Amino acid sequence: MKSDEQNPRRVAIVAGGIVSPLGFGLTETLQSLQQGRDCVMPVTTFSVEKTRCKTAAQIDDGRLLSKADRRRRGRRLHRASYMVMTALGELLEHAPDFEPEIAIVGTTSGGMSFGENFYRTLGNGGACAAALIANYPPQKQIVDAMEKFGINAPAQVIANACASGTNAIGHAFNAIRTGRYQRILAGGYDALSELVFVGFDSLQAATPEKCRPFDSNRSGMVLGEGAALFALEEFESARKRGAEILGEIIGYGISTDNHHLTQPNPDGSGPRRAMEQALAQAELKPHQVGYINAHGTATVLNDTAEGKAIMELFGEVPVSSTKSMMGHSLGAAGAIEAVVSLLALQHQFLPPNINFREAELSLNIVANQARNAQLDCAVSNSFGFGGTNATIVLRKLAR
Amino acid sequence: MSLSIAGMSWVTPLGSSVNDVWQQLVASEVAPVETLENEQNGARYLVRRVPTTLTAHLPPHPRLRRASAISRFAAAAGLAALAEAKTPPSLDRVALVFAISNGGVIYTRRFYADIVKSGAQSASPLLFPETVFNAPASHLAAILGISGASYTVVGDGAVGILALKLAEDLIASSDLDASLVVAAEEIDPLVCEAYRQWRLLRDPRKPDIGRGMIMSEGAGAVLLKRSNGGAEIEQIVPGANFFRRSEALARLGFVVARLKNEIGFCVGSANGTFIDQAERAAVGDGMPLYSPKIALGESVGASVFWQLITAAKALETGTLPPSLKPSVHSRALVLACGLNQQTGGLTLRFSRPGG
Repeated sequence: MKSDEQNPRRVAIVAGGIVSPLGFGLTETLQSLQQGRDCVMPVTTFSVEKTRCKTAAQIDDGRLLSKADRRRRGRRLHRASYMVMTALGELLEHAPDFEPEIAIVGTTSGGMSFGENFYRTLGNGGACAAALIANYPPQKQIVDAMEKFGINAPAQVIANACASGTNAIGHAFNAIRTGRYQRILAGGYDALSELVFVGFDSLQAATPEKCRPFDSNRSGMVLGEGAALFALEEFESARKRGAEILGEIIGYGISTDNHHLTQPNPDGSGPRRAMEQALAQAELKPHQVGYINAHGTATVLNDTAEGKAIMELFGEVPVSSTKSMMGHSLGAAGAIEAVVSLLALQHQFLPPNINFREAELSLNIVANQARNAQLDCAVSNSFGFGGTNATIVLRKLAR
Repeated sequence: MSLSIAGMSWVTPLGSSVNDVWQQLVASEVAPVETLENEQNGARYLVRRVPTTLTAHLPPHPRLRRASAISRFAAAAGLAALAEAKTPPSLDRVALVFAISNGGVIYTRRFYADIVKSGAQSASPLLFPETVFNAPASHLAAILGISGASYTVVGDGAVGILALKLAEDLIASSDLDASLVVAAEEIDPLVCEAYRQWRLLRDPRKPDIGRGMIMSEGAGAVLLKRSNGGAEIEQIVPGANFFRRSEALARLGFVVARLKNEIGFCVGSANGTFIDQAERAAVGDGMPLYSPKIALGESVGASVFWQLITAAKALETGTLPPSLKPSVHSRALVLACGLNQQTGGLTLRFSRPGG
């Protein structure tokens, strides 16, 4: 198919699937968002005796693995594979005929804990299981999930740190918009691992306290995990075959901030460029946006830079960081928060920014409790190490 | 959509000048092999390393002060590919696409080793950011001043095809003039041990037998623009995944079938493993087939770029190493089969002025 930038296609979301600390599936996720549920708890999967931060938002393994394939091959898969399978299973329940030409997904660490086990076993002089090696690579988890459901498509795995999920959905959107694809499976996944947890702790980016995005007393992030996927389809194709259309993606922006490997430029110029691009592509003025799902990690540096950019560009538009409830799931975060933004549009509410006490910036924070609202469009931001900034714009389907 | 290669470069165990390395491939020279030892378990591996002199000329950029070898390889290849362009593109209209498989494994191992040995309180905040897959791309973007789109694509030995496909999709948008596509890898005993336990490495006691791969390191880079002659990528096909090694042939066959006919030769990814047989069967006995991995080793994420540059030189010079003379009008097939499920391919042709 030839590209045609002069005649951009509309891009429909025809199904979604999600698993996160907020719940298994769209319905549980919606309930948790509306209740403002705090999913952060003590870490149970590895020792946090010597770390400053001791909490994270985790997915219950008992439930995650309850439907796992208990045959030999199934037992060897990483729990991130089961997260992706859970999200894909839900998506295919709603769109059983969806046959993607390609999967474009984001992750930062794939099956990292298997790599940790491999290293520890080697150091202990033990025999390493080849399965640890085979199931560790970051592309393996999406490939496992597609195999389970008989999907035979290439997997393009984007690792743009914490912006990966939004970059994956945004790139998939553009690839359909320019006519190069009709159907793409897009999203992201990441599972909690010791290496990453200790890494953020070493940077003192993780907090030993509550996660309070945009609060004047915020002290850092907590980690999370999960997977979320969208079935994206060229709008007319979806309409003609009678698919249920949940919403649209209408804009995407990407920028690279070369200020520092781990710190945003405090002037907020990187995030601002991504948001401006996304709005321009969506042909929207800032006041037409009804809700911003911020990256909002609750680190001093991120929230200052992002908050400044949002304030300057959007003024009074309501903002929340749902990471306050479910932690920061890194490569999955953008995909999970895109689903959150879609649910906000579908159910006409503003998801809350919990643990919020005192404002630092003049932002219209959705503090502590969900609010009803009339929304047409929502913006979802993700920024990451390496200076990657990504923004997508979603629109509810006009009735 | 056809894409022209406006600049290309590599950093390999045989050198970093495209023409010098090419001449060595034609002369059937192979990169020297050395032995690397794993301190954890005493295992030994045959490896082909990039001489440190090849990155000594890099500018003294602050981002390279602490960067690992992988970032230095990437910077050397990326800068050289850009410098080769006859008309340098405006960097605000260039996307950076990075392909990677094992990534910054040296710092990742060191970071985790500190945790295991001395506890989490000993973890280094300087090392952790370098463990992230997109750290090399971030350094390169900062050095070049690229502030627009930057993507790091991860996968196995076929990841280069997926990265090139992403670059093609980006250039299809009118917002961009060019894409700098870079891939890099570095050697570390931990990665070698993983492949050894997977029974894919060559036995260090039998270095001269052809079975098993020899790991290597380095980088490759191409600057892609909308087609305007010279070496042109005509079609890129990311393949489906295989779940058992026995399925690799079928997946590669599917890739070959989707690419255009009139292919004169193939530059493949054979590395002394199950890939060799699958790839030969996929292209057929009659197709001339050459793998630069024989001479340069298996650089995983960077390998597709070494294949691509080899194919471009073969079309340009009319010689497939060591001495085959394919038709000057033929197309080249670059075929990639990774060790962990991914496949893909592309076709390349060379448009001569007035031709």
